[in-house]
Amino acid sequence: MCQENTGKSTHQASGTKDGERSNGLGAHFYYFCLYLVNHLHRETEVMSNHKALEMFGRSGNPTLNAQTFANSSQVSAPSGIQAVASQTMTLEGTVNKTGILLALVVLSASWTWRMFFETGDPSAVMPIAFGGAIVGFILALVTLFKKHWSGTTAPIYAVAEGLFLGAISGIFEMQYPGIVIQAVALTLGTLASLLFLYKTGIIKPTENFRLMIVSATMGIGLLYLVSILMTMFGAGGIGFIHSNGLFGIGFSLFVVAIAALNLVLDFDFIEQGSEMGAPKYMEWFGAFSLMVTLIWLYLEILRLLAKLRSR
Amino acid sequence: MDANTLIFGSIAVISLAMFFYLGKYRASAKQRERDDRIDWSARRFSLWKIFLYCLVLVGGIVLITQFI
Repeated sequence: MCQENTGKSTHQASGTKDGERSNGLGAHFYYFCLYLVNHLHRETEVMSNHKALEMFGRSGNPTLNAQTFANSSQVSAPSGIQAVASQTMTLEGTVNKTGILLALVVLSASWTWRMFFETGDPSAVMPIAFGGAIVGFILALVTLFKKHWSGTTAPIYAVAEGLFLGAISGIFEMQYPGIVIQAVALTLGTLASLLFLYKTGIIKPTENFRLMIVSATMGIGLLYLVSILMTMFGAGGIGFIHSNGLFGIGFSLFVVAIAALNLVLDFDFIEQGSEMGAPKYMEWFGAFSLMVTLIWLYLEILRLLAKLRSR
Repeated sequence: MDANTLIFGSIAVISLAMFFYLGKYRASAKQRERDDRIDWSARRFSLWKIFLYCLVLVGGIVLITQFI
């Protein structure tokens, strides 16, 4: 187990075994799947609502449909503004809820982190980490299909993912001291910078932008999947994904860039949701979407830094 | 506390503060009032088109690796 996770933390930069390569990609592929289901499901649910609206004249889900616009018009009415606004999605509410989720991730991560450094044995924390990853994955799927449960499922998801991240980060930190604070700073720095660029209108997400980002994200996932399958069947995986050479680092940079640009799509989704007066529970869903992308970005930055440090 | 923790810790704290501050404000009019905004209530591109682009990207990466 120790070897497997060392392989994950160094990401085979120093040429570890094929089996370790497969495990190293696991976390990244897992997060990729989660992200993609999240992103595509945002659209498909809205699409199905529109079909239902056409067929039955009303929708069962009020996310971004006729009911949403009805809410918007109520907000702009002179009377009862406060009462209606308190029932609809706001930017401030979404940011506050993102803060709550971040705090929960850090709290639970610090628990597995401390446990790892007290025992010094990865096998002591890996069952908790994998348990957290599995519970987090199930809760994420539940959140995606039952958005109105987000208020309950998103915080539990954050705690579960924190357990996973704490253990993974501890293993990276043991291999390369100081790497985790660098990855955290770069992740949060990217978040703040892209938010600034989005708010000021310097980056303008369009339909073509969305097409490119979603396609690139799917392409990355496909490469990870092929690499895992090749490793499983003894073909050795796709070498450059793990390499700490120029191409391997270039690939990691590309993945980090795509993960970062996904944040812009999240910001736009949240901005439009609040503009249209989406239901209050969408604040939790927006915060949850942001967390999924942030955790993926953090893992990719950690991987990139490990490659750079192993050179 | 070493210099690495101090420098990157400060970046993390400042970035977080910036996120909480900026996040509460609406995007600029330049961002909100344009015709080519993403319509989150509809999907303009089919999954097949996304899949095709994704295959082109993977094929491109594989080709590049063959020539480097």
